[in-house]
Amino acid sequence: MKGKLLLGTAALAALSAASTGAQAADFSNARIEVIVKASTSQYWATVFDGARAAAKALGVKIDTLGAPAETDVAQEVTITENAIAKHPTAIVIAATNAVALAAPIEKATAAGIPVIMIDSSAQTDKYVTFLATNNVTGGQKAADEIAGCVKARTGKAAGSVAYLTALAGAQSLNDRDKGFVDELKKYPDMKIVDHRVGNNDASKALSDSEDILTKGPDIVGIFADNELEGDGAGTALNEKGKASKVCLVSFDTSSQELSFLHSGVIDGLIVQDPYMMGYAGVWYALEAAHGAVLPKYVDSGVHVVTKANIDSPTMAGLLDPSKYKLGPFLGM
Amino acid sequence: MTSSLAELRHHLPVETYVAGLVVVTWAVLAAVSPYFWTSDNVTNILRQVSIAAIVAFGELFTIILAGIDLSVGSVAGLTGIAFAMLLSNGAPIVAALFLALALGLVIGAVNALASDRLGIPPFIVTLAGLQAFRGLALLLSGGMTIAGIPDPVSEVANASAFHVPTLFIIMCVIGLGSHVMLRYTRLGRYMYAIGSNIESARRVGINVTVVTLAAYSLSAVFAAIGGMLLVSRLSMGTPTAATGYELEAIAAVVVGGGSLFGGRGTILGCFIGALLFTTIGNGANLLGVDPFWEMVVEGVLIAVVVYIDNIQKRRHTGL
Repeated sequence: MKGKLLLGTAALAALSAASTGAQAADFSNARIEVIVKASTSQYWATVFDGARAAAKALGVKIDTLGAPAETDVAQEVTITENAIAKHPTAIVIAATNAVALAAPIEKATAAGIPVIMIDSSAQTDKYVTFLATNNVTGGQKAADEIAGCVKARTGKAAGSVAYLTALAGAQSLNDRDKGFVDELKKYPDMKIVDHRVGNNDASKALSDSEDILTKGPDIVGIFADNELEGDGAGTALNEKGKASKVCLVSFDTSSQELSFLHSGVIDGLIVQDPYMMGYAGVWYALEAAHGAVLPKYVDSGVHVVTKANIDSPTMAGLLDPSKYKLGPFLGM
Repeated sequence: MTSSLAELRHHLPVETYVAGLVVVTWAVLAAVSPYFWTSDNVTNILRQVSIAAIVAFGELFTIILAGIDLSVGSVAGLTGIAFAMLLSNGAPIVAALFLALALGLVIGAVNALASDRLGIPPFIVTLAGLQAFRGLALLLSGGMTIAGIPDPVSEVANASAFHVPTLFIIMCVIGLGSHVMLRYTRLGRYMYAIGSNIESARRVGINVTVVTLAAYSLSAVFAAIGGMLLVSRLSMGTPTAATGYELEAIAAVVVGGGSLFGGRGTILGCFIGALLFTTIGNGANLLGVDPFWEMVVEGVLIAVVVYIDNIQKRRHTGL
């Protein structure tokens, strides 16, 4: 919850800075470009939901942009360059590739357009603030959840574990995997025996998971580092009737993953707060455009949803943006 | 003795080399990995190859005609999404099935007519389709995965009959039908004739438009079947599903003895080609080979097999 608190105080401080800077809060000419990695997943749609809610609350216009697939790095570069050409008030961007997006982001900053990075950063320091899930923490929580689940089932945290990476070269996924691998070392009897890299494709994740289970009949845990990998791994466990033997923990919350969580195929979902990323991203963007000083990094929080806590109000809001309740600092 | 062996070697179709390669790969994998030659894993391979092979069968018809269909992956994605959305909105399964097939049929007809009647090269027509149909799939679904697939549909791709996965049985039925069509019907022979020499085919009175229409419609309908089976297998529709399947399908056809210059290629060869790629993927997983090496190996394989095929053809023609 530390992340939330930080977000609240930062926003409050920035809000007062913004209101002294601009007398009347009329931002109707402001236009903020919100660029995400892919327009094809629920996750990014929730970012857009949050961004739209903030835009409505602040009375600004936003454009919601993104390439169809996360693999399409060139397309995101083009979208970003086109956005810069429009001279918006600010840009909110999630970088698909840390290296490729660095140049366009620097170009935007050089053109006097404040850049707020969300979710995944690029290799540059020419930005205002970076608002993201601490993916390393998310990976650590996944490792702890798998260890806890195995312990609850067998009496001790021991056995072989595999993990699935959705895509090579994405910083946020690398961080999740690193957090997972490092944290799992704290359980001396748990060993990573397999690792597959997918192409952000659920049917490939399914084939890979089947092969992992064939190769390692004694596997007790699988970590999937995004929703399409989780969908594929869950389908494989279902198909092979191994749901009760293998603890599956996955990132994100696709509808398929949620139904797997309800039916017990998935034991835990590592959930980020994309709504807050979109909401605070737009808010920070406007503040930055009016000269507010913002911290360089803000943690937007990461949570573990299990069958036991899924109905609690906090988790319900994370899973369904329409039930999202903004904290006292942000609900305007 | 040696000369007759060499003679035999010259006359073996390229499928033999690829089939040999599959057998060698299987033998090596069975020797190296204790898990490869298990009923569980063989079942996995049969499941994994089925959808790719069905899409490749459709691709084969267009390649025999000296054409190409680059849109199959996107057509599978679009029909899959349409199928999933119809189902999740409560449409009866049979109705959703026929509507998705009809969508495939219409797309195939558009591809065929645009290339045959308007004279746009099939490469361009279907490249446009590759983009446009993927775009439609994304538009239709709003970029979201579609859940709420009824259980009977999910069960189709995940069930087995006598330990043989249903998916594989469906593939066999489609493959057998296609084989019979290509080999024993007039339509099939016309396809080879047009692919070998379109002018002489026209002069002997073959209706090129009708045959082209049939080839591209079959290609799109098979892609639609592949798309629906993917929905069944994953119990959800994904707008980005089957991305890149066109390249896998073309690779399977070419490695299986099909020629991009037309007039050549068989269903059996195509199946063996698809099986080779699936085996490599499965083997790489079981041996824990770096996934990036897997791509390199697949690329080298395509080059090597086509090279062998070319040497053979040159010997035949005496060049």
